[in-house]
Amino acid sequence: MTTNNTETTAVKPSGWQEFWSKEDWWAVWLGLGIVILAAVLYLSGSSISWIAVAPAKWSNFSQLTAQFARNGVKYLALLGAFTVLFSIVVSFIGQKPKAFIPSFIFIFILSAIIYTLGNWDQASKYNLEPPLVALVVGLIISNVIGLPRWLDAGFRVEFYIKLGIVLLGATLPFTLIIWAGPVAILQASIVSVVTFLVIFFVARKLGLDHRLAAVLGAGGAVCGVSASIAVAGAVRAKKEDPPIAITLVVLWAIIFVFALPLISRSLSLPTGTAGAWIGTSEFADAAGLAAAQSYGGLAGHHLGITGTPDQALAAYTLIKVIGRDVWIGIWSLVLALISVTVWERNETKSKVQVGQIWWRFPKFVIGFLVASALITFIVYNHTLGDYTKTVKPVLITPIITLRTWAFTFSFLSIGLTTRFRELAAVGSKPVIAFTVGVIANVILGYFLSVIVFGHYWAAIVTH
Amino acid sequence: MKIFESLTLNHTGPRCQNCAHFQSDPALIEQTYPGLATMSSGYASVRDRDGLCNFHQVYLSGRDNCESFVAGRVEVEQEH
Repeated sequence: MTTNNTETTAVKPSGWQEFWSKEDWWAVWLGLGIVILAAVLYLSGSSISWIAVAPAKWSNFSQLTAQFARNGVKYLALLGAFTVLFSIVVSFIGQKPKAFIPSFIFIFILSAIIYTLGNWDQASKYNLEPPLVALVVGLIISNVIGLPRWLDAGFRVEFYIKLGIVLLGATLPFTLIIWAGPVAILQASIVSVVTFLVIFFVARKLGLDHRLAAVLGAGGAVCGVSASIAVAGAVRAKKEDPPIAITLVVLWAIIFVFALPLISRSLSLPTGTAGAWIGTSEFADAAGLAAAQSYGGLAGHHLGITGTPDQALAAYTLIKVIGRDVWIGIWSLVLALISVTVWERNETKSKVQVGQIWWRFPKFVIGFLVASALITFIVYNHTLGDYTKTVKPVLITPIITLRTWAFTFSFLSIGLTTRFRELAAVGSKPVIAFTVGVIANVILGYFLSVIVFGHYWAAIVTH
Repeated sequence: MKIFESLTLNHTGPRCQNCAHFQSDPALIEQTYPGLATMSSGYASVRDRDGLCNFHQVYLSGRDNCESFVAGRVEVEQEH
């Protein structure tokens, strides 16, 4: 052990800086800023709909060119607004806007093309669901064509998805969160605990270290890579442990983005039920949202699939965000405690800090809840007829449009940042442990989402 | 009870985040762990002030501490 008594010149980091140095908080500031602006304009008889532009349904090129000729200025304004706002965010979190701006313009143009393709009236006939198209296009570009590394600056998967989830909150009634939240927590907790224990004990049985087993277990059970990296920090994992979990989560998450909607479709699951299953069994927020949005988009286009696109998104978000993501601080605390009291009892005298429950809390969830409460309060006195006729087109639809843009940026960024060659090599033992957990998760998730609570998720009210 | 004795509200003394062996720059963490930015982020709240200890070769919390602390490093990305 080397001890150096040199005096530190370091300034003690302030708790306040989290508010402008973390993507989560920026998703809250930006998302709530958009929602508040939309609400203020709505209450004063106006709307943000001018700038919340999106491609409309089209069936031939003359319609398409007419659309873009009519709305070209709006698209430029939207690109300008996103670029300015996101550049502010990246400069605060410590990235260079100079690298971000060209990269974001690239993402925006590709997203516009994918969004437009998704609104072609023949798109569903050819299975061109925009989230999956975005993912596939991104994967092909990054793994086959290749892009200069500096372009990565704009591929901020997590920031875009968190912003989209805050905006999603504004389109979900707060009463739904109160009503369905406890069921989501119950269902997700059962699956999370079982999945974690399966991965952990299989990993231990195969001889893997406690901490690696915990990092793998958290990745499969809680919220994918985010959980793995949080638990790795909490239990003081070996430097080489997180990449093993990252590789396994990324590969399984990509498989499930395509597999879960496909299986749900073959079983003709209602959109709400499929959304709950995807929320229970998919690992990462962004990948799961791609799967849920993709499946929701099939409603009304494919025979036998009942429900609405919003039900898939709502059920998914309740299970994944409220049921799984928010508990990461608790998981970290408990595993850190087990780590210092059992696994490394003789190696450390360190104590576990209770504050990590809050420090590791995914703060964007606060924005999601506040946005939901705010819009629910504003529309509270309207009848369903008023809501559909007045509130929805002026207040809700523009927010949905901006949300869809944010999600598309994210789905595209998943593909663009997934470079299979660069993922860490993984030995057979972690693969076996994680895969056994995945199988347990997907079967138990199906049982709870479809057989036990299926009727519940199929009937959730999203307006 | 042992469990309660192992809990604390706040560590006193030097913390890893001010140690010369510790690196927590989000960009560097994303570079070190390919795939992190694909399904999570170096800049996410869940990562708190975690980073890499180049002395013990572990990934841990910057709020942690140990006897190998070497002072003198300002965590630039945390300070502004």
